[in-house]
Amino acid sequence: MAELLRLTGVHKSFAGVQALRGVDFEVRPGEVHALLGENGAGKSTLIKTIAGVHKPDLGELFWEGQPVTLNNPRDAQRLGIDTIYQELSLYPELTVAENIFMGHAPRRRVGPFRVMDWEAMFRRAQGLLTDLDAADLDVRRKVGTLSVGNRQRVEIAKALSLNAKLLIMDEPTAALTETDVEQLFRITRLLRERGVGVVYISHKLGEVFALADRVTVLRDGGYIGTKSVADTSEGELISMMVGRTIGALFPKQEAEVGDVVLELRNLTREPYTRRVSLKLRAGEIVGLAGLVGSGRSETAQVVFGILPAQSGEILVQGAPVTIRDPAGAVSHGIAYVPEDRGTQGLIRQMTVRENVSLAVLRSVARGGFIDVGRETALAQDAIHRFGIRAYGPEQPVGKLSGGNQQKVVVGKWLASDPKVLIIDEPTRGVDVGAKAEIHRLISQLAAERGLAILMISSELPEILGMSDRILVMRGGRVVGEYARAEATQEVVGEAMMSERVGAA
Amino acid sequence: MSSDAQIRAPSPIQRLRTVLFSQEGILFLILVVVVAVLAGRSDAFFTPRNLLNQGRLMSEVGLVALPMTFIIITGGIDLSVGSILGLCAVLLGVLWGGLGLPLGLVLVLVLLVGVLAGLFNALLIVRVGVPPLIMTLATLALYRGLAQGISEARSVTGYPEWFFRFGQGNVAGLPTQLGLFIVMAILAAVVLRSTTLGRTLYAIGNNPVGARFSGLPVGRNLALIYAFSGLMAALAAIIFVSRVTTTRSDMGSGLELDAIAAVVLGGTSIFGGKGSILGTVIGLVLIQLLKNGLALMGVTSDATIIVIGTMLILAILVNNFIQNRRAGI
Repeated sequence: MAELLRLTGVHKSFAGVQALRGVDFEVRPGEVHALLGENGAGKSTLIKTIAGVHKPDLGELFWEGQPVTLNNPRDAQRLGIDTIYQELSLYPELTVAENIFMGHAPRRRVGPFRVMDWEAMFRRAQGLLTDLDAADLDVRRKVGTLSVGNRQRVEIAKALSLNAKLLIMDEPTAALTETDVEQLFRITRLLRERGVGVVYISHKLGEVFALADRVTVLRDGGYIGTKSVADTSEGELISMMVGRTIGALFPKQEAEVGDVVLELRNLTREPYTRRVSLKLRAGEIVGLAGLVGSGRSETAQVVFGILPAQSGEILVQGAPVTIRDPAGAVSHGIAYVPEDRGTQGLIRQMTVRENVSLAVLRSVARGGFIDVGRETALAQDAIHRFGIRAYGPEQPVGKLSGGNQQKVVVGKWLASDPKVLIIDEPTRGVDVGAKAEIHRLISQLAAERGLAILMISSELPEILGMSDRILVMRGGRVVGEYARAEATQEVVGEAMMSERVGAA
Repeated sequence: MSSDAQIRAPSPIQRLRTVLFSQEGILFLILVVVVAVLAGRSDAFFTPRNLLNQGRLMSEVGLVALPMTFIIITGGIDLSVGSILGLCAVLLGVLWGGLGLPLGLVLVLVLLVGVLAGLFNALLIVRVGVPPLIMTLATLALYRGLAQGISEARSVTGYPEWFFRFGQGNVAGLPTQLGLFIVMAILAAVVLRSTTLGRTLYAIGNNPVGARFSGLPVGRNLALIYAFSGLMAALAAIIFVSRVTTTRSDMGSGLELDAIAAVVLGGTSIFGGKGSILGTVIGLVLIQLLKNGLALMGVTSDATIIVIGTMLILAILVNNFIQNRRAGI
């Protein structure tokens, strides 16, 4: 047969952000088709479009050759499309069998009533699991007591009970142990033999080569290409994923690099931060690259005292310090602009003035009484210096755009006059214009104020364009360090993804 | 994008409307209407003598409602205040009457016990992360049980004359405890509005994660307000004993609900992040005057409770309606 599912020229945007721009995608029956791309490349949007969660703005969907419109996930399910998301959607307090047949449990007649046919349900659930080579799973057990790998098997059995012809797996191995991964592979191959089409999303190139028949690469919401796995290489896929031209978006200012301000020695907090050592110098921007889950943000939070270290040392200007909470980090001149602006960075209900002074509340107060005049001056200064588009210090920050909110967070931390600025995903959810402004601001802070900056980013071009030095993390460890001159998309990208670089 | 709408500052008229239609503004209007109606129905109601007496009766709940406002603003709650009051009252009787300690020292010890009871709540809430509702529900039972165990169902009477000043005396023409409440309320209002502590409480209530990520001393400030809550409950216990001249272990039961009702009626969000002392004070006065006015009209106490419950619901509905309209969607 030719094809199971085909998408042509799919566009989708959210609130002005183009998530997909003209993506083509095709899955054949009995094929494992891997979907690759960096964070934010549009993979999630694409699978949600296939699963009927999002409706495309433009473009067409064909199912077994016929054009179709999916208005909701139920439409997709009725065609035979089922998705296993990263966060499994099972009911922990119900049994394996109940979960498998949720919403379509077998019934039988008792007089005028149709009641649950428990016997049939357990029998058929057992049958499905046996088909999946998982006969050892007790169908009467509560799902909450199962391992992640077994829960995944339950999800797959559930999809099969709905006669799924196309199964989408969103990073299925992210939380699995090695044996569970092997079993998942076996089940996936089993499904392929039975003619089920599988869309397989993963960051791990090794898995793609072990499992997939074809691979499609997305980048910045655009379609880059589809390759047969037999005809491609890791190197080619990586350059397809990251190969972007670095334009004038990153106006890096040359800065004089001074003394070491922050040093980490074997800093450890299991499981995300393992013996991390690094040095940050005044005026230097160090980029911290890595995939989501590689331990970058967690390491930043260890330094900032949110997740205090279990072992290892933190040295500020050569002197060892102990940091137990964020207040301690602030007192040592460390500032952290977190990844999640909405919940970690800002208090959305409060005004610009109240947010900007939050980290320096005690120094804008006299004897415990807040000096609103000083606070307002501080906010006004931040508004002018960073070009925050707000009507004034009294505007609630929740009503500002993403870029302006980010500038408020940066303003808040600069008010604390830090020596070290850790900035996590500085331009996530920020439009292109504001992005360039934030990049210029970061560059300025290093060059003019001599701040030591650790910049965490999932956007490789941002890392490469902005950093004096680049560190790469994988599995909680620093696995690579590159000077600006030697860092290319290929080298850094490979360190982020490949098991071969810096294997510990 | 609608950036023009986003960056326009509110006009003076809009600001006036903000004040008038704030939770406190509306509540104050309701209070005026209620007082006018009640005064029309009974001659005994709107007299200085009656109003001052109501102030005396209101002060114990009032003192507890002040820290309750702080706590609810952080998104927490303290259900144990009534039991702390009971425990402190019983200890007052036992330490003075039973052990024969000097009454002055006993009063200090009782206040200390209140603080410790509050700190114990805070300890498990902050360190172990027990939800305030659960923790203080547990200590509501625990402290009341202690009070009952210590008192062994005996009441202590026969306090010296000077002790009755707190509950029955007057200072500058005001009942002593009303004067004390007014001073405490002003202090609490200033702390909440103008100090770093107050700002931190609002920050915690709006977004505890954001407050922590900003380096604010979240745990220390929570400990402080729960301890303050215990202290105010102990102070209320002293006033209560002084007013009724005896101690019993069931004193203050249900006090927590009266205090919470006043706080919530006063516009403090039960989800945290929003509220004021002024609102709480208006809420307190409104409930107390309704109770009194209805009693003077000859309404039975059962019926009074029904009317007050209904008023509470109506006041909250009216307010929600107006606040939603103002939000403009």
